[in-house]
Amino acid sequence: MTTSPLGRRLLEELYRPVFRRAWPVWVGAVALALANLFMFMYARAIGVFPQMSMWGSSLYRLAGIKVDAPFLAYPITPVLRDTHSMICFGIMFGAAISALCAEEFKLRCEDWRSYLAALAGGVLMGFGTVLMPPCNVGGFYSATMSLSLSGPLTVLGLLPGAYVGGLLLKYQTRGALAEFRFEDLPAGAPVVAKGPSRQPYAGLLVALVLAAAAAGYALAGLRQCAGLLLFGALFGTIFQRSRLCFTSAFREIFISRNGAMMKWILLSIAIGTVGMSLLKSKGYLPMSFILPVGVHTVVGAFVFGAGMAIAGGCGIGILWRAAEGYTRAWVAMLAGMLTAGSWVLIYGHHVGEGWLYGAPVSLGQKFGWFWGTVLVLGFLAAFYLFIIWIEAGKHANVQSHQGR
Amino acid sequence: MRTFKAIKVGDGHFEVDLRGWVCPFPKYAVVGLVEKLPARGRLDLLVDCPSAPEDVPRVVEGLGSRVAGVDTLAPGEWRIAVWK
Repeated sequence: MTTSPLGRRLLEELYRPVFRRAWPVWVGAVALALANLFMFMYARAIGVFPQMSMWGSSLYRLAGIKVDAPFLAYPITPVLRDTHSMICFGIMFGAAISALCAEEFKLRCEDWRSYLAALAGGVLMGFGTVLMPPCNVGGFYSATMSLSLSGPLTVLGLLPGAYVGGLLLKYQTRGALAEFRFEDLPAGAPVVAKGPSRQPYAGLLVALVLAAAAAGYALAGLRQCAGLLLFGALFGTIFQRSRLCFTSAFREIFISRNGAMMKWILLSIAIGTVGMSLLKSKGYLPMSFILPVGVHTVVGAFVFGAGMAIAGGCGIGILWRAAEGYTRAWVAMLAGMLTAGSWVLIYGHHVGEGWLYGAPVSLGQKFGWFWGTVLVLGFLAAFYLFIIWIEAGKHANVQSHQGR
Repeated sequence: MRTFKAIKVGDGHFEVDLRGWVCPFPKYAVVGLVEKLPARGRLDLLVDCPSAPEDVPRVVEGLGSRVAGVDTLAPGEWRIAVWK
């Protein structure tokens, strides 16, 4: 097939760097911070599980079970008219477009044990999100840069939770390898590579559907739905191309003593913290993402951390992986939304109400915006140093083994 | 317990099929596989997790082995050639 000079130029300048090579994680981290800041200026910061919980409550209602959505700020709303849900749909659109254009889409089926793990992980994330609240991206990433005291505290639960979940994955790998011997393998023919695919054309088609949906919302007067749908697609693209994974970031700090992913996420939070503090100090949405804080923050974060490691992705992780064709992510998503969606039936109150939850604390309002920002940046620096210390332990171990 | 599908392709040359194993399994499994691989053996890992073509070579190099190449087999599927 021949390509025109303009076509060749577009391929070289746009398509190949964006879709044919994985983005460095730091590019994803910086892009995520900037996209989150712009979306905050437009409407709100990123977070996905509260609206997914609302989907779960809506499914119960459809089944004739009367239950309220767990988060008061996310009441039961027809999902196609719900502005918050647009972020989730957008993430799935963006990830699907990216995966197809990069020829990385595949309907990935696994065995029953993996689906069972996804179910268990989804249930744990469902409980974790209403206890913490909400998920690790809303409750850690966005909350920390919003100067909510709850944000830094979630680390005390997410880190050990993801570690416990990671140990289970390690155990499963060791079990699969226990009886494995190369000497016993039967002879066979290797798998042969297939020819080029038409996935990029399918990606283009999905992009056109996204553009039509956004245009439809805008023409119907639902401009915020259109905007958040497009912001979601941007997030989906960033996550899919850079493989920026919060689950991996938390899990690998202790499991493999590798904190590279988390260090970039901390930089991303630092960028967001400065931007959000400037906006909030001028009176723009000062209480946005200021969340209840108490023992429930740490307990919920632990449960959520274990759940995301077992499920193979956090709230956002299962959304973009579901759009890449991971069927286990669909199971985790359904389990998570149905568990969180039943919270009012179980607990009798909404998230943030009743004996379980503490009061929201804004470091900006308690200590002033300048000192609140300094405190959060200090926390990020301390977490960064902690990771370096953990990583140094790995190198010391390697050197001591080599010295023997 | 779930197990890996694997074959012997030739003398000291093996293929282990990790398609259907979500991340991070490929990067965890490659540690044990390289340990068990005979000296100067070649291991072709088949993976369908998009993180694996980035993660697995880093782990392999950390183990002192070498990744000869990463080829695309089909959309969303890769072959990572490891030499011990």
